[in-house]
Amino acid sequence: MAIPSTIPILGLPWDDVLFVILAGTMLLAGLLVVTMRDIIRCGLAMMVCFGALAGIYVMAGAPLVAGAQVLVYIGAISVLVLFAIMLTQTKVGPTRLVFQTQAVPAAIAAVILVVVLVLTIGATQWGGTGERGETITADLARVLFADWVLPFEIVGVLLLAAVIGGVFLAKRDRPASTDDVE
Amino acid sequence: MNGSDVIIIAPLIAAIATAIAILVVDIVVPGRTNAVIATALIGLGVTAVVTLTVGSMPPTTAYGGAYKLDALTTFLDLLFVAVIAMTIVFAPDYLAPRRLPVAEFATVLVFAMSGAMLISASVDLLLLFLGLELMVLPGYLLAGYHKSDSYSTEGAIKYFLLGSFSSAIFLFGLAFVWGLTGSTRVADVASVLTQVVNHTLPFSPGLAMGFAFLTTGVAFKIAAVPFHYWTPDAYQGSPTPVTGYLSVGPKVGAFALILRLFVEALGPMKAEWLPVVIVLAATTMTLGNLVALTQDNVKRMLAYSSIAHTGYMLVGLAAYAGGQPQGLEGLLFYGAAYSFMNLGAFAVIAALQKRAGVTSQLATFAGLGRKEPWLGVLMTLFLLSLTGIPPTAGFFAKAVIILAAVQAGGWVAFLAVLLVVNAAAAAFYYLRVVVYMYMRDPASDAPPLRHGRLMWGGLTAATAATILFGLFPGLLLGMISAAAGALTAAG
Repeated sequence: MAIPSTIPILGLPWDDVLFVILAGTMLLAGLLVVTMRDIIRCGLAMMVCFGALAGIYVMAGAPLVAGAQVLVYIGAISVLVLFAIMLTQTKVGPTRLVFQTQAVPAAIAAVILVVVLVLTIGATQWGGTGERGETITADLARVLFADWVLPFEIVGVLLLAAVIGGVFLAKRDRPASTDDVE
Repeated sequence: MNGSDVIIIAPLIAAIATAIAILVVDIVVPGRTNAVIATALIGLGVTAVVTLTVGSMPPTTAYGGAYKLDALTTFLDLLFVAVIAMTIVFAPDYLAPRRLPVAEFATVLVFAMSGAMLISASVDLLLLFLGLELMVLPGYLLAGYHKSDSYSTEGAIKYFLLGSFSSAIFLFGLAFVWGLTGSTRVADVASVLTQVVNHTLPFSPGLAMGFAFLTTGVAFKIAAVPFHYWTPDAYQGSPTPVTGYLSVGPKVGAFALILRLFVEALGPMKAEWLPVVIVLAATTMTLGNLVALTQDNVKRMLAYSSIAHTGYMLVGLAAYAGGQPQGLEGLLFYGAAYSFMNLGAFAVIAALQKRAGVTSQLATFAGLGRKEPWLGVLMTLFLLSLTGIPPTAGFFAKAVIILAAVQAGGWVAFLAVLLVVNAAAAAFYYLRVVVYMYMRDPASDAPPLRHGRLMWGGLTAATAATILFGLFPGLLLGMISAAAGALTAAG
């Protein structure tokens, strides 16, 4: 039996419903990441957020990007973050966040920004959406290593600079450094 | 991609190779500061020579039109090399007493330079963003370079959070522009906007939104009011040589981005963005100066004054949008003059702080004119130049911008008046330091410090640039008018 192209009773296309579910999951998980107190749970919510984003990539016809998202973000980065937390976290931490003194003005500003964005996006003619095709991996490789090879290489340099900086900051200090106060 | 593309980006390759060479030297002979500095300076020299050689070729593009080699690229690249070389030369006297390594400092600094050089050559929005990130990311590390100092860490975290946030805003705007113009190439965006201005294409609200986000992101990076909140803490907390660099390098780099973005991509719509720049320039210079008046920490004072200088440079941009191409020459000259005089001023503070524990409070400067006459004279010169008193480079830079703004007329001419008023107000807090140096008794009778040869060499270079570009601005003007011409021809 063939699956109907729209949901039987509601008459909505499957794509739209799937997108709403995935985007909703992503937003909810993202909110949980920044609002929950327990940092381990934040890390787990972050994985859900990444997973939903991978689903959106699949829907947009970019299976390779979705695969990379799962492998790199969920597989590597999240696990790394969770291990880093488990190895370094001390149980005694501040129960209230230090920076939370301007929550109300920030919330008002955020809501205003969302309203402006929604109005703007609604009022904009975005042009034809075109055919939603599958991205062929060979095409992706050609784009990445021919047309966009310079940005691609620069990202490598950027990561190298970031790694050097990260190692310096994380490196254990030699003892007995003379402190001074500005 | 082919062989000639690699030749065109040779300055960038030389810069990245220099950064890696410094790292390798530090691995082979660990802890040898002199070897590291020698490698860095030789590498920077090679980069400068390569830049000049490649720059003598006719203007061209590489990588499918994403990377552009023109007079502007060459001029800005040379300026970045000079800024980084001077920062590296000033650093050891400050870092050594605090047992901070020079190698990592120099490496990430040169990486930041390669990012700035990429910005100056990018005519593609995505590449501009990557260059911006490569330029500012090392800055976060450098701001927190003094790991055991809590102020340094605090400033670095504030800089990092707001900096990443503003990068995200910039990227969001870029996505809007890409979605509505179908291209990230600056030339394509400009041609779409030309059609919009000629009413052959409708102007969509989404495009306006995208440009608003791009402007906000860039305004954060140049620390224009009201996007300046990270500046004072980041500048005061950072190690002094880093503060000098942060107040000059990323600022000129972000202005390079503004030139590529606003003049080339958004050039067709300059009548539309002119009011925004006028408001930004007016608030930035006024607020920066007003708050600087109340500071008694010289580093913090110079942080606020650097915000004011951002405002002066924005006046140059406003003059361009008001129909005076000389405004761009003014902006470029100001960027160069400001780089040398501001780095020089911070170098004097860094030299005084060679003795660990010396703060950058105003009292530190009491009696400096008698205790260390040379440092006193140089500090006075840099401060006079920052004020804009002839015959220094700072005077000529302000003069070019004011002249262009007056000729542009209208509200831009009002900006010129505001600039003069602001410069007069700024004289008060700059000269207060001079008063402390020559009319107050020293707080302590500690013997004068001995400063390294590198420090004196760097100070000499900064002094020479500040005086020479003031007396003979023609030395720079040739390159600058070629650079501005390359921009306006494209935009």
